[in-house]
Amino acid sequence: MRPTIRTRFGRRSIATDVDDELAFHLDMRTRHLIDAGLDPARARAEAHRRFGDLGEVRDSCMTLDEGRIRTMNRVSFLQDFRQDLTWAARVFRRTPMVSGVVIATLALGIGANTAIFGLVNAVLLRELPVRAPDELVIAGDPTRTSSMGFDSNPRGDLFNFTTYRQLDATAVGLSGLAATGRTERLDLRIDGVNRDQAPPRGRMVSANYFQVLGVGAFLGRTFIPGDEDMVGGAPVLTISHGYWLRRFGGDSSVIGRDVLLNDAKFTIIGVTPPGFRGEIVGQEIELWVPLAMQGVLWPNTPVLDDTQAYWLLLLGRRLPGASLEQVRSALAEGVRGLLTTQAATPAQAAQVRDLTVEVSAGARGLSRVRSTYRAPLLILMAGVALLLLIICANVANILLARAVARTREMSVRLAIGAGRGRLIRQLLTESFLLSLLGAGAGLVVSRWMSRMLLVMAAGGGSELPLDTTIGLPALAFTMVLSLTAVVVFGVTPALRASRVVVATAMRASGKALTGAGSGMGQRNPLGRLLIAGQVALSLILVVGATLLVRSLQHLQQGDTGLAREQLVIVDVDATARGYTETRLTALAVSLRARLLGMPGVTGASFTENGIFTGTESISNLAVPGFEMRERTDSLSYYDQVGPAFVAATGARLRRGRDFNEQDAEGTSPVVLLNESFARHYFKDQSPIGTTIRLGDSASAEVVGVVADVKDHSLTGSARKRFYVSYLQHPLGYAGLLRLVIRTSGDPALLIQPIRAAIAAENADLPIRSVDPLARLMRQSIAEERLLANLAIVFAGTALLLAAIGLYGVMSYAVSRRSGEIGLRVALGAQRATLVAMVLRDALVLVAIGITVGVPLTLGASRIIRNQLHGVAPTDPVAFGVALAVLALGALLAALVPAIRASRVAPVVALRAE
Amino acid sequence: MLDPEGGLVRGTLDVLILKALSWGPRHGYAVAEWIRTVTDEQLLVEEGPLYTALHRLEKRGWLVAEWGYSDNNRKAKYYQLSRSGRQQLKAEITGWERYAGAVTKALAAVRSSPA
Repeated sequence: MRPTIRTRFGRRSIATDVDDELAFHLDMRTRHLIDAGLDPARARAEAHRRFGDLGEVRDSCMTLDEGRIRTMNRVSFLQDFRQDLTWAARVFRRTPMVSGVVIATLALGIGANTAIFGLVNAVLLRELPVRAPDELVIAGDPTRTSSMGFDSNPRGDLFNFTTYRQLDATAVGLSGLAATGRTERLDLRIDGVNRDQAPPRGRMVSANYFQVLGVGAFLGRTFIPGDEDMVGGAPVLTISHGYWLRRFGGDSSVIGRDVLLNDAKFTIIGVTPPGFRGEIVGQEIELWVPLAMQGVLWPNTPVLDDTQAYWLLLLGRRLPGASLEQVRSALAEGVRGLLTTQAATPAQAAQVRDLTVEVSAGARGLSRVRSTYRAPLLILMAGVALLLLIICANVANILLARAVARTREMSVRLAIGAGRGRLIRQLLTESFLLSLLGAGAGLVVSRWMSRMLLVMAAGGGSELPLDTTIGLPALAFTMVLSLTAVVVFGVTPALRASRVVVATAMRASGKALTGAGSGMGQRNPLGRLLIAGQVALSLILVVGATLLVRSLQHLQQGDTGLAREQLVIVDVDATARGYTETRLTALAVSLRARLLGMPGVTGASFTENGIFTGTESISNLAVPGFEMRERTDSLSYYDQVGPAFVAATGARLRRGRDFNEQDAEGTSPVVLLNESFARHYFKDQSPIGTTIRLGDSASAEVVGVVADVKDHSLTGSARKRFYVSYLQHPLGYAGLLRLVIRTSGDPALLIQPIRAAIAAENADLPIRSVDPLARLMRQSIAEERLLANLAIVFAGTALLLAAIGLYGVMSYAVSRRSGEIGLRVALGAQRATLVAMVLRDALVLVAIGITVGVPLTLGASRIIRNQLHGVAPTDPVAFGVALAVLALGALLAALVPAIRASRVAPVVALRAE
Repeated sequence: MLDPEGGLVRGTLDVLILKALSWGPRHGYAVAEWIRTVTDEQLLVEEGPLYTALHRLEKRGWLVAEWGYSDNNRKAKYYQLSRSGRQQLKAEITGWERYAGAVTKALAAVRSSPA
């Protein structure tokens, strides 16, 4: 056949083709007719006549051609894609190790990112599963949700019931206003039996709570407004879907069932929808009780009518058109107005004027977990993103190496006519397939990792109740990550491979790709750059992890001022059994005597707030001769403690004496100060013998000074604190009882005997907890441990990947240079020299990485400054350890190729070139 | 065979095109000339519809087209039978012979003899 011309595509070329074809026909016919004797003009006319309607034929031909080309393009795209996939699968099969490593590291990176993002999403981003969460407004300080304050001073972070009842919702721009408050311990009995392993987590809510949130019932009904009008007369209960499944086995006949809640009869009227866990993120509420029932559930501590009981948070829904700003100021103004009318003294009314009433957007609910974990989560997010960056670099490097190894294949395919675009597409398909597999495996990894994270974050055995399921945002996040990974590690090798110059590649088999220079440094420059980058990024993670571990060590082993390994803290719920005032004091004394009589116990005392048990007391005070400069000068934390408290806890007495049995009712009140208190008010002078005013009217004589102890938190700095005698109770009777027991041996061994001793005093006394102090302290730093543990995992992975990358690059370099090395061996080079040559080459890369990495790390470590306790962000030990670990890892990674280089046999090597 | 308006029945033109190409690649004009010659100028009244048919057959995948140069060195579009086009031609011929045979037989019958 005659030489062919390439077929043209596209609309314009279709028209040209058809026109050319028809013109050819008409010309041929015309010529034929001229040959037959017609004159040219008549011949032309006759040709057209014979042809028929030219325009119509032209149009139908074009339409047919367009259809044909469309189908062809589609088919050829699919065919190409299938071919690409087949090739990709073949490549994977041929190099299973490489593909396996790529998929596994991608899965790790994507999985870890998705898991952390899931946690970030659940804690920081997710909106409550309620109707139009954007309209919700919260008044009060979410971080106070774990405490319930009685305070003679007006407060703006929690509210009393009276304020809530009197607030006019519509006047402040709200369509509805609900109140929620924490419950004390709940005891739920079905048919007279309590089957809960832990007390159910309940919340007292106003009857319009579910209406304001827009949460319907899964079964039965939720509360309706009007329930709260009947104070004490709305014995109804709504339970969560989870509790319904756990406790009632999902039995729909629970609706209408009567149960005993704290000995009062309640009827279950509804089950909330699955997924609704209340307005507090990080806390799973299991049952809701109308606020009106507070006095029925806790007859000993009725708070509804007590304007000094600040315990409610308010939840409102904005009216259409009311902005958050308007509601914020109107609501704050409303609360201040009501508190002013409630103020007992002009001084309190004056305080109300300066009071900040906290009003914030409520879409994401309230959370203590959020404020605690915000910084660590963001740090983890940054860390895990770094890790993904390293993984991408690593994968790019592996694929680059493979692309280099396939240069010959590529050049052959180019030579037999494959388009460059086609080759790039082939490589991209491979990357796409890899990333798809990596993302799939990553999702599995992330499920597993987020459960692990929740357990670690909770600090105890259980999980933090957070919904980290992969929702749409997390899924989108994963997809974006893997696609980014495709672009980063797929395009680079593809672009490089496509630059193969056929002739050169055929001749030199790969040298065109790697550069023609003879030195090691000139070959595979992109791979080397990636390794140096990986080293730099790894340094950030390794230093960060080392810093966090050192900080954790400081927290775990630092001096707390207490005998941390010898103490047991007991929390008994004495008020639940009617122990108040003198009876409670008598119980405390009697229990202490029992405990002191136990073998293995070397000391015992009692306290109201306990150590690491979570409650705090604040009192105002006045020190004679001390000029108040700010409001906090007249406030201090305090605790009521029993005889020999200082000795029993292992605290250090700096001056004066400990409390004893004689510091009881009827004697003149005495007080112990901690060093922070003494330093603040007395500077270097001895406070012993001074009488200070406590509360509004009491006073006490200072008899001792105690060293500061870390009694509530390992991370915070010491606060001013004073101790009054539990037996003298100059600030009023204590309401709580915690026991502190010092043991001679392992405190864990005494837990059962201590429980028995308390039961011997009164078998009916509910014991909330008996814990070794060391365990409580460990739990209190769950957040720090989580951060440090994950940082170690990330840093370890980064290190491993950097080592793998370095190993790969050095192995490649050694194999490319085998000819040169062989020549050197033949010329008598020593093995040690060859090993040193390769190692030196590797260390140059590491040195470049470190040079870039150190300033980066110094910048990054400043970000985690607030998470570091007792360690500077520039801690030389941490940097030293990290650099040593990194250098050692690099050395090990380079050693294998180095030794391989030294074993190159001269003949083999020479033949290889 | 003629349709009511005096043109070619569409299927017949298709078969003729396939047949015209059964000896190798030809351009449209050559196909037209072949049909004109072998049918004694009886069948192809207008030449335009031939091109519509060529493009339709190309779209169906029975023909493959390629640009080449004609004997007088002009650029021309050459058509060629594809594998499926060749099979189609074979099927059409068999079908036609069976059909024509049946009709011929019917027309040759002398007298009907109902059972």
